Amino acid sequence: MTMVIPIGPQHPALKEPEYFRFEVKGEEIVDVDIYFGYAHRGIEETFARRNYKHNIYLSERICGICNICHSTCYSMAVERVAGIEPPERAKYVRSLILELERIHSHLLWLAVAAHQIGFDTLFMLAMRDREHVMDMREIISGGRVHSATNAIGGVRRDVTREQVPKLLENLDKVERSVNYYINLFQTDRTIRSRCEGVGVLTREDAIKLCAVGPVARASGVKTDIRVDDPYAAYPNLSFEVITETDGDVMAKGMVRLREMVESVKMVRQILKEMPNGPLRVPVDLKIPPNEAVQRVEAPRGELLYYIRSNGSEIPERVRVRTPTYASAPSLKPMFVGGTVAEIPIVLWSLDVCFACNDRVTLVDANTGKARVVTMEELRRWRS
Amino acid sequence: MNFLEILQFIYNSLVFPGLLFASVIGLLYIGIDRKVTGHLQHRIGPPIWQEFLDFGKLMTKEDITPAAAIKPVFVGAPLLALGSLAAVMLLLPVASAQPSLRLTADIIVIIYLLNIPAISMILGGYSSGSPFAIAGAGRYIVQLLGYEFVFILSIATIAVKVGTLNLTDIISYQTANGWLLLDWKLLPAIVATLIAAQGKLLRAPFDIPEAETEIVAGPLTEYSGPKLAIWRTAYNVETIAVAALLVSLFLGGPTPYTFGNIQIPAIVDFLIKTFLIVMLTTVVRNIVARVRIDQALKFYWTFGVLLAVISMILVMVVP
Repeated sequence: MTMVIPIGPQHPALKEPEYFRFEVKGEEIVDVDIYFGYAHRGIEETFARRNYKHNIYLSERICGICNICHSTCYSMAVERVAGIEPPERAKYVRSLILELERIHSHLLWLAVAAHQIGFDTLFMLAMRDREHVMDMREIISGGRVHSATNAIGGVRRDVTREQVPKLLENLDKVERSVNYYINLFQTDRTIRSRCEGVGVLTREDAIKLCAVGPVARASGVKTDIRVDDPYAAYPNLSFEVITETDGDVMAKGMVRLREMVESVKMVRQILKEMPNGPLRVPVDLKIPPNEAVQRVEAPRGELLYYIRSNGSEIPERVRVRTPTYASAPSLKPMFVGGTVAEIPIVLWSLDVCFACNDRVTLVDANTGKARVVTMEELRRWRS
Repeated sequence: MNFLEILQFIYNSLVFPGLLFASVIGLLYIGIDRKVTGHLQHRIGPPIWQEFLDFGKLMTKEDITPAAAIKPVFVGAPLLALGSLAAVMLLLPVASAQPSLRLTADIIVIIYLLNIPAISMILGGYSSGSPFAIAGAGRYIVQLLGYEFVFILSIATIAVKVGTLNLTDIISYQTANGWLLLDWKLLPAIVATLIAAQGKLLRAPFDIPEAETEIVAGPLTEYSGPKLAIWRTAYNVETIAVAALLVSLFLGGPTPYTFGNIQIPAIVDFLIKTFLIVMLTTVVRNIVARVRIDQALKFYWTFGVLLAVISMILVMVVP
């Protein structure tokens, strides 16, 4: 006999409201249904109502953790539509903040993963070390989380020479603690007993279900937009694409932890090699009809923006595909066959970010057909 | 039994060392536990009287019984747990080597009464009608089967060594021959007892039945208000009771001694020793992750039982 365990829409394992309906036999999971859409905010519609400049701030607010990825990706897409090239120094500043974001996002992942397996001390320590990265971001941009650094055609804030020593000092602290966590992850028996061999995503499944980012890399798929479709300063930076072969939670964790070491190296290289020059180029925001796709490797994987312009200051259409949206189908093979105790850590091994990912589809309950809502209908519902 | 004895019994069960004393010490110790946990985790942590504040706040909250719950069991479970723990306190030596209530084979009664809170939590979970509580209660049963056998086997080893099932006799044996902790033949059994106590007190790595990220609060999911306050108190008293039992079993029990010219009463000795045991469990729970229920069961039935059996063989074979 199977029993249904509802995880969500409100549940301590979830940081945002979504609904997972687990069918369990004792402790074993036999099936899972995933219902998304509880955090839908209508962002794409809002994009098409504001001008290009306002949309930078809107795109930052799609995701709090990876806000720079969103605004960088959006700005670069607009630059591509308008056919302009930002200055070299701006590209380096973008890469610098993107890598800092990767470090703090992965440290947050580590903290919450520790909490999910009941290791609250590691949770607190990882959050403590994350503060160093937040401080670095505050030094550069004035904001610990939302940095509002990007502009269309470049960046708004510079890294001055006086800031560099403090940044390098914090970077050393971060590197020390990351190396400690790598060692801890590989040696602590309780962590290994919870992470090894659970939530396995095979290489075939990862390719078939289009997993992106660290999830795919942990299954041995060497995919990284920084290498596959280089942007910002990445063509000039030397780094290694981290892959693991096991595809379990341990491998996903190790990919993230080792990526942090690479990111620390990259930040050092950027601070050393950053060229001098202007920060932004002027842009005429009346962009003639055109369309473009831009991809960025966010901490969670490939982030995609599609923009179509129509000659006015307001984009015709902006489409966002967030990494969680691309990776979500891989959850099912990871869950089925596991136990209830694995649900939180397996779910979190994807580093899920639901609010970024939610869409809305109207399905007629009688016929089961999905349909598109016209603008008129939407207006009528709102009033 | 005359009137004075009845009055004495009521005083013992309700005030000292029963309900009131055990609750106050229990709440204080768990408050210290939370403070120490905070410092171990690099944060400030709550004040040590936080548990009293929590208790007071919960008592003033609305008393809710879910419509799906079986009311008598749901309401009775916390009271049964706290009552049985107050009874255990009567049998444990607190202020001197003599417990308030003397029985010939009191260890058996103590082991029995220490299981009542676990069983009432399982009953409370099953009767509450929440899927999380039912999952938690199921896990608790499995965990009970794990730690309880190790716990009983280790205590049996100590009983075999001393040759009695009476706690007072074990304490007087230790007064004559030194603490049982210092006996190398019993060391594996004592380690096994501490591991079992960690599972009995639902502390990491064995906080599986109430794993909050998986099944909310396990059997206690539907409890709130005064009933939750009683559960919390019962848990805190259980911590003290288990620590007190371990103190009597291998730390020599509460003994008065003179330090310089100052006479230190047995109750202070008791408080220090139980505090040390509680702190040991606190440190352990902060340096490990939670294991899965199957891993916990395997751990108890291989490693735990092995330790206890080695000790048992040593005690029986080595003269």
